[in-house]
Amino acid sequence: MSQITTLIDKQDNVELIRDEIASILAVEQQNQQALATADGQDPDLWKLRVYRERSNPWAEFQPAPESPVDDVSPIVNVWFDTESFDESRSNTVRNQHATATYNIDCYGYAKSESDPGGGHKPGDREAALVSQRAARLCRNILMAGHYTYLGMRGVVWKRFPRSIETFQVPIDNRNAIKVVDTRLALLVQFSEFSPQVEPVELELLSVTVRFEEDGSVIAQTDFDYTAE
Amino acid sequence: MSLREQAAADLTTIVEDTDGFGWPITVTAPDGTSADLVGLSSDIAQTIDPDTGQAVSGRHAHVFLRLSSLTTAGLGIPRGIADAGSDPWVVTFDDIDGTEHSFKVMEALPDRAIGGVVCLLEAYKT
Repeated sequence: MSQITTLIDKQDNVELIRDEIASILAVEQQNQQALATADGQDPDLWKLRVYRERSNPWAEFQPAPESPVDDVSPIVNVWFDTESFDESRSNTVRNQHATATYNIDCYGYAKSESDPGGGHKPGDREAALVSQRAARLCRNILMAGHYTYLGMRGVVWKRFPRSIETFQVPIDNRNAIKVVDTRLALLVQFSEFSPQVEPVELELLSVTVRFEEDGSVIAQTDFDYTAE
Repeated sequence: MSLREQAAADLTTIVEDTDGFGWPITVTAPDGTSADLVGLSSDIAQTIDPDTGQAVSGRHAHVFLRLSSLTTAGLGIPRGIADAGSDPWVVTFDDIDGTEHSFKVMEALPDRAIGGVVCLLEAYKT
């Protein structure tokens, strides 16, 4: 017989935190563009296109799009990687202390192009610089003091970058398009909760305990019940 | 004619026969010298991951040209140019639908035994 009487229709915190990371990046990059515009700078340098849980978001770079006709701004994909639990800091009934790793992949793309000033702009170099610029923006946003608890204080205990690594997305460097991924691995510590037993009142019971002079202890109570 | 010379002659027929798989290709050297040649070309968007054997996304483009045709056109052998201050070797050819695509030579793999060069290409905006 099943014991859980309520529908488990909540999202786990590990999912909520992933969505919150993506939301923070989407909102803040928009604001950064506005600040750049107000400062007289090119807002496109602060533009990020944020996705979550996509397996191949850089595929749109395969036809080798060209700026300014096409949007070639960096693509950021936030995805949940691993979650581990710390038994010593958990409660076996109610909550589990978890540490999750979220990968924030910053895909930079660039097409080699002729430089009007002479020579050319190599696509591999430009893609790496774009990718690293996007990762720099993501780290600064997520590690800003404003987001110490990622906007989820009480759930999130700590967030900290574990590593940043760069690699070329296509399986070798002989690809006709140049896409570089800079991966920011973000560790987040938080509590995960699970369904609990809801207490119900079975019977109201009143007991009077008396200590008699002879040393005996007497418990006296009245039961109000209906015999079946 | 030696067997090797026969192979080189066969290569001409295979590579530069426009009734076969030969395809018009324009090659431009860094000094601006340009020539219209015929060679083999490909531009595909799927490749195989050697670790897993699975098809993965990517885009590979290359041309194969005869060395003697490049020399006759006064071009020499293409090569990848890492220096951003220099112009790269540029290759232009149409796809099967007639849309022109430009590439820079990323890496060249000449075969001087049989007289051909494979140029690995990277998308390029002229």
